[in-house]
Amino acid sequence: MEYFMSVSVMIAIFVILAASYNLVIGYGGLATVAHPIFFALGAYTAALLAIHTGLPAVLCVLAGAAVATVASVLLAASSLRVSGDYLLIASLGFQLGLLQVIRNFEWTGGPGGLTDIPATITGAARTPAYLAICGAAAVATVVFIAWIVRGPYGRAITAMRDEELAFTALGRNAMSMKVALFAIGCGIAGIAGGLYAFYFQYLSPEQFDVLQSAAILTMVVLGGMGTTWGPVVGAALLLAVPQAITFLDLPPSIMAPMQGIIFTGLVLVFLFVRPAGLIGASGRGAMPAALGVHDHSGDGA
Amino acid sequence: MTEILRLTGVCKAFGGIVVADNVTLSIDAGEIVGLIGPNGAGKTSLFNLISGVVKPDAGRIVLHGEPIDRMPLYRRARAGIARTWQNMLLFTSMSVMENLLIAPRDYPGESVLRLAFGRGDIRRSEAEMRARGLAILARMDLTQAADSLVTDLPFGHQKLVGLARTLMNDGALLLLDEPMAGVEGAAYETMQRVVREEAASGRAVCVVEHNVSFIKDLCTRAVFMAQGRILQTGSVHELLASKVLTELYFGV
Repeated sequence: MEYFMSVSVMIAIFVILAASYNLVIGYGGLATVAHPIFFALGAYTAALLAIHTGLPAVLCVLAGAAVATVASVLLAASSLRVSGDYLLIASLGFQLGLLQVIRNFEWTGGPGGLTDIPATITGAARTPAYLAICGAAAVATVVFIAWIVRGPYGRAITAMRDEELAFTALGRNAMSMKVALFAIGCGIAGIAGGLYAFYFQYLSPEQFDVLQSAAILTMVVLGGMGTTWGPVVGAALLLAVPQAITFLDLPPSIMAPMQGIIFTGLVLVFLFVRPAGLIGASGRGAMPAALGVHDHSGDGA
Repeated sequence: MTEILRLTGVCKAFGGIVVADNVTLSIDAGEIVGLIGPNGAGKTSLFNLISGVVKPDAGRIVLHGEPIDRMPLYRRARAGIARTWQNMLLFTSMSVMENLLIAPRDYPGESVLRLAFGRGDIRRSEAEMRARGLAILARMDLTQAADSLVTDLPFGHQKLVGLARTLMNDGALLLLDEPMAGVEGAAYETMQRVVREEAASGRAVCVVEHNVSFIKDLCTRAVFMAQGRILQTGSVHELLASKVLTELYFGV
């Protein structure tokens, strides 16, 4: 039971990550791979504050989110002025560079990682309590993002992604909208980081490396980019299915590669069978239908 | 009539290619000015300079007496410049009405902060903008298409949607980039009628168009451009009669 709950906490945290990444890349159309570094900024900020200041955990997590948000605005302001491909490169540099900084400072624990993060909640109720907290945060994230992308604001996001030039020439500030979406998404990733730090009580740079970017991206793509439920399904599936085979009683020498094979296999299958993701409709109109601004189903499309 | 737009000595070059060479031009309220000239004359570039897609290297652009040449694109739209595009640039994944709802100069629903604190405002303005959009579509006989996906419409109707979208911006200047290209039949008549109505309501209209009969029927004045320069300004008939220009334009 403990094991199930522990996996569920992990799923909840990755739902938050995938959903916030989906806001940035799926809805905002901003090609960034730096999501794990904002996750890391939230985690390290919260952990270091908890270790050194004894602030209440909630404040530590919020401070982590604030640091992630500020960092995201700095990255956005410098790289969003130029178009898509540059953001990809700038975000990759940001991701690699900042992780290198974390790896080389002593006060971040360096390559060995950061330990001694206070438990905050102790005893038998610890994991259920974290499951409740992380689960609630995941639900709040999904609802919050669904609320943002609904209605007039969501319509503007779609229009920006469709035709940025026309959108801007109609008096809309695409730049500020992108920065806003980026900041919100990265701030939420910072919250996920804080939760992660307090639950696992141990942080190491490897947990936030660029492979994590690939994992989160896979969750979003597999579930359905630009859909409300896609990231939820993607995160749950990609974390749960590889875990499930641990019950098959296989020797570890087979188990470890099997999990990687299943992960990769799922991605390949989905790319061919459902390119718009599990939740995304297939074919034309998949993205906008997901935005849910209006139902086009009656248009005879 | 009131002067809406004035360009003085506007220059722009991309590397060695001069797209605007000391362009001086003014457009009054109620006028329909036709911008004609061969391909590559700098007509669309002039639209880009006026609407703010690119910034001039030199010269001034003044709207309502206010210099706008350093203003970013989105602020010029809010200042009252509405334009269409040669290749329409419609929001292809959205319905006709949704396309229109992106276009008003100010829209409270499109800010995260107001999303949080001004639900009532948003609902009111949403209803108001929809009504305005429907009124514009009605003028174009497109009421039935309001909820259709724009890409499901025939080409001529898509062009009309492009015009309708800019009309949601109630600013003083309307720039139409080849509105008639590929448009025929009823849509042609509608386009002509609506453009005329807009000018009659006091808007300054500038049209880039290769369709000479459209220019003849509609424009009060024509401007002939070649190689980034204005070669001649005058009535449409004067211009079309000019030998130098017909040679340049039609190569005869």
